[in-house]
Amino acid sequence: MDQNEVTNRAKKVIANVLKVSESDITDDANFIFDLGADSTQSIELVAAFEEEFDIEMDEAKALEVQTVSDAVSFISGYLNS
Amino acid sequence: MSVNNQKKLNLHKIFNPESVAIVGATKVTGTVPYDIVINILKSDFQGIVYPVSPKEKVIAGIKTYKYVLDIEEPVDLAVLVFPSTVCHLALEQCGQKGIKSAIIISAGFREIGGNGIEREAQIKKIAKDYGISFIGPNCLGVINTDPNIMLNASFARKMPEEGNIGFLSQSGALCTAVLDYAQAKHIGFSKFVSFGNKADINEIDLLYYLADDPKTEVILLYLEEISDGPGLMKAAQDIIRRTGKPILSIKSGRTAAGASAAASHTGSLAGSDEICEAAFKQAGIIRCGNIEEMFNIAIAMAYQPLPQNNRVAIITNAGGPGVLTTDAAINDGLRLARFSDETTKILKKSLPVTANIKNPVDIIGDARADRYKVAISQALKDQDVDGVFVILTPQSMTDIESIARSVCDVAVEYDKPVYTSFMGEADVAVGIDILQRNNFPHYILPESMSNAFAKAYQFRKQLEEEKNGPVAFKDVDPQKAQKILNTVLKKKQTYLTEDQSLAVLEAYRLPVLKSALATSVEEAVKFSKEVGFPVVMKIISKDIVHKSDVGGVILDIKSTKEVKSAYETIMSNVKTKMPKARVDGILVRKMIPAGVEVILGVKRDVSFGPVVMFGLGGIFVEILKDVSFRVAPFDKKTVLSMIHETKGRALLEGTRGHKERDIEALTDCLLRLSQLSVDCPQIKELDINPLIVLEKGKGAFLADARIMI
Repeated sequence: MDQNEVTNRAKKVIANVLKVSESDITDDANFIFDLGADSTQSIELVAAFEEEFDIEMDEAKALEVQTVSDAVSFISGYLNS
Repeated sequence: MSVNNQKKLNLHKIFNPESVAIVGATKVTGTVPYDIVINILKSDFQGIVYPVSPKEKVIAGIKTYKYVLDIEEPVDLAVLVFPSTVCHLALEQCGQKGIKSAIIISAGFREIGGNGIEREAQIKKIAKDYGISFIGPNCLGVINTDPNIMLNASFARKMPEEGNIGFLSQSGALCTAVLDYAQAKHIGFSKFVSFGNKADINEIDLLYYLADDPKTEVILLYLEEISDGPGLMKAAQDIIRRTGKPILSIKSGRTAAGASAAASHTGSLAGSDEICEAAFKQAGIIRCGNIEEMFNIAIAMAYQPLPQNNRVAIITNAGGPGVLTTDAAINDGLRLARFSDETTKILKKSLPVTANIKNPVDIIGDARADRYKVAISQALKDQDVDGVFVILTPQSMTDIESIARSVCDVAVEYDKPVYTSFMGEADVAVGIDILQRNNFPHYILPESMSNAFAKAYQFRKQLEEEKNGPVAFKDVDPQKAQKILNTVLKKKQTYLTEDQSLAVLEAYRLPVLKSALATSVEEAVKFSKEVGFPVVMKIISKDIVHKSDVGGVILDIKSTKEVKSAYETIMSNVKTKMPKARVDGILVRKMIPAGVEVILGVKRDVSFGPVVMFGLGGIFVEILKDVSFRVAPFDKKTVLSMIHETKGRALLEGTRGHKERDIEALTDCLLRLSQLSVDCPQIKELDINPLIVLEKGKGAFLADARIMI
């Protein structure tokens, strides 16, 4: 899966979980500071990424990811391994 | 504008903002970010509120901004409630917006270690770059009860009543308990601050702020750690001298667990709590054992004038409590006032024949308000009375409410303190409520009442005491001491040898007896003749710390023949018990005449720096731990108080057949030691054990010393 596809699908997931408009989700947007994710939503987001990309992520490490672009890289890491 | 003035201005805006942005606000009830918004709104804040939230458009009916940068108007104060992981982003935007004052409520910084330490360093840097001053992180927030401001930027449940007590606390959770406690007793506050990790604004900044705050008369301070002991002491001394505002403090961690494993007597006796106790005393800070004691003293000082002297009159309707109060007062160093003839005459005329008109005045169990009124007013009129304790026990005919009102009515007419104790709980509650609402200190126990009066009196006395600067002797040779210490430091030795230790002390003109190091029997004989018999001989080796344990010390040597024999004995003992010890020689010194043995010491404390110890030697120090401490440098008066504080001082002052000792010479030694400890930061611990104090006028001599670097 190429990076653009990962990004587009990740943004859809984010918009759906955090209930924000997809157009507001920039690559460098911070989940908490820019998109208003709270702690419950952060956990939901990890679960939603796993489902969307059919991967199983290290939850502790996944929760440390702060921005959309970092999340895309993190997910790509699992997809490529 | 200077950095200090900018900080002062920023601090002023924290307490008196015209506009507040709550950065990281949410709509989720029961969370800190939501409660902060609601508390500011509920507190009737007189300025403008701007919630800032990445997602919400409106919170609690107020327009909400996505970023602080989106607010068009200027903002005085930002309250950050974002998770710690993004606080740096929020603070950066505050800086860009030109906000200079912030409260960072969020936890997850230095207190959690690891990444938290880095996060705290990050926000400190941002604050420094933008000239922002902030309280926190990891705190409850700030409250200002000034009716013109009315700010509750905290997640405390309620806004406290307005009052003249300023409360500063390192612990946020304690704050909420204190607010609840105070509310029940109608205790009001001027400012209420939880300062958490004190990453930027610390207790010293806040003390200075409250010192200049016209709404604050008494300052309370709860501390868990002291990072700048000398700074705290200086601030307290400045504030008390300049403003006369008392500072009461609780410093948690009183138990011995914090005392370090120490290598010297001084080190083992000077635990962090003992040093803190001494430092607070020196600085004039009233140290309290618990919250209840702190408020008992605080209300006395905040509500009533300070007593001019320590003569109290006790007015009671019950004999037993009168006696209990008398005992407590005497134990606290107070005196029962002796009434004037005029007072006695009026009391006799106005009270029943069964009443006791002498102090403590027992107006008898059936007393109603009229008897209280006459007894209290007459006592307050008496020039020999400095304050009145009013005690009530509830009998069937006791008109509690009316008596409470009378106490208030009478007492406000005089400029003398009146403290009350309506003993009991349920029946007296109505009276206590009246007293508390009218700012009369009330105590369940007469002992607490007496203790509060004693503390207020001591504070008054302290205000009148003249403060002198530390003594600085000119006849000392700091370079010589530094040279010895640095040489030893370079060799990476932990201890100085005895002769090195004595040389350092000699450089500061401490009374070290003349001595010489002999490396042969012949030299020992020669030196003993020079210093004069009787002499003491001691092994000198950097490998032998406890000389007596290896048979390395022989006392009272009276002749050349005994010198020769002693030399051989010491060398043979050392060879047997510590064959590998590197021996420098044997020290020959004149035997000191009999005197009182005292111990002097120095310990370098992590928070307060050099601390000097004094105590009597032998059993006094070993078993009774009868020692006192002061933070160096200090003045002569401090030394005298240090000596006075020990129980064994009677031996120096001369009692029961003992002659008075040379306290002047002892004082000189302590002052010189204070100067040495400040000048030579290499010294970690130092023991002079013993210093022999001779009869008055004959001086003091130093027999042994150890210095650890």
